[in-house]
Amino acid sequence: MNAGAPGSVRIGTAELSSAAIADAVRRARQGDVDAFEIVYRAHAARIYALCRRMTGDDLQARDLVQDVFVRAWERLTTFREQSAFSTWLHRLGVNVVLEHLRSRKREDSRHTDANEWLAVPGSPAARLDTRMDLDKALARLPAGARTVFLLHDIEGYSHDEIAQMTGIAPGTARAQLWRARRALMGMLDA
Amino acid sequence: MIEPMTHLTEDERQAAADGTLPADRRALVDAHLAACDECAADVARIAEFMKRTRESTASAPAGAPSLDELWSPIRARIEATKVVALDTAGPSTSTRPFLWLVAAGVAAALVLTTFALRARPRDSQTSVATQVEADSTMLRAVADSTRAYEAEAQILLDRLEIQRATMRPEAKAAIDRNLRTVDVAIAELKDAIARDPRNPALRQLLATSYRQKVELLKRANAG
Repeated sequence: MNAGAPGSVRIGTAELSSAAIADAVRRARQGDVDAFEIVYRAHAARIYALCRRMTGDDLQARDLVQDVFVRAWERLTTFREQSAFSTWLHRLGVNVVLEHLRSRKREDSRHTDANEWLAVPGSPAARLDTRMDLDKALARLPAGARTVFLLHDIEGYSHDEIAQMTGIAPGTARAQLWRARRALMGMLDA
Repeated sequence: MIEPMTHLTEDERQAAADGTLPADRRALVDAHLAACDECAADVARIAEFMKRTRESTASAPAGAPSLDELWSPIRARIEATKVVALDTAGPSTSTRPFLWLVAAGVAAALVLTTFALRARPRDSQTSVATQVEADSTMLRAVADSTRAYEAEAQILLDRLEIQRATMRPEAKAAIDRNLRTVDVAIAELKDAIARDPRNPALRQLLATSYRQKVELLKRANAG
């Protein structure tokens, strides 16, 4: 996992240090909602980035940001200060998004990975005229492949960890990753 | 042994690029890469793509929106399920001062309800269909949070029922009187919310009244 703690964060006109944010986490654990707002403002952008990339959709990401922070509030007492709060929150965020993706998949059982891949532009003819940025390209991957790619190549989880988190076999995770990389390279002309 | 003209598999190329090759395969794959320009170029291309990906994701996504507006709904959801922490000094020997505070709080809530109902203007530009949809969503959210409070209050009421036999008559009367006051406030606020579901002041007052009821019951059980 490569989710490091932010060194400082700008909230309004104030620049808050890591120590001030850590203090806000401690106060939030004691039930201080105002302190939790500081925690939210310090971490919201990273959690939004995670949700946005994993879902490929701004509206879903914004809903999930809310879910992640409400869940974080409910679970704050389980956070042990020996680990970095940002790492704990990030892991919690990944779990919330994975739950969301699983429920979406159950709702839309018509979509299999096989036919989802058909919609992914991979051939030179389907390649976009202009260079796409990574987020747009990611949004066009099937959900399963996008999840594995993000968890492995961006978030730094191992294949075994991904298998455990997503409930798929490590070999399947590897195959999804290889395919996702090739599709992204095709779309980004890399 | 991998022959120079037998190219690496996809699995080997990708694992060579991201450094996850099993130790027992590494030497053979490295030897092949040293001899095969085609495989070496492909592995380099994958590695370069991964490097660029990591660099581009080190910052927030392009065009990341302002997230300030998300804090209010998060706070509302937290407040809707939050029960006010009890005084850590332990149960007070007398419930009377607290009960007066509850009564005063409820009275203030009733005054504010009236004010909130009068003060909130209706937006005549919003379409009726949109308003109906937004109102139903809000009513469902209020019903969800109400259920949580009512479940907690019921548990405390059941406990209190067991204790009533040993309570002084004046203490019982005071608790009943204050519970009635809170319940009247809750009923009026629910009625007001049904008529004006998107009024945040009413929802906040309802949550406050429920918290007061739960706290009153906790104190009564402790005292």
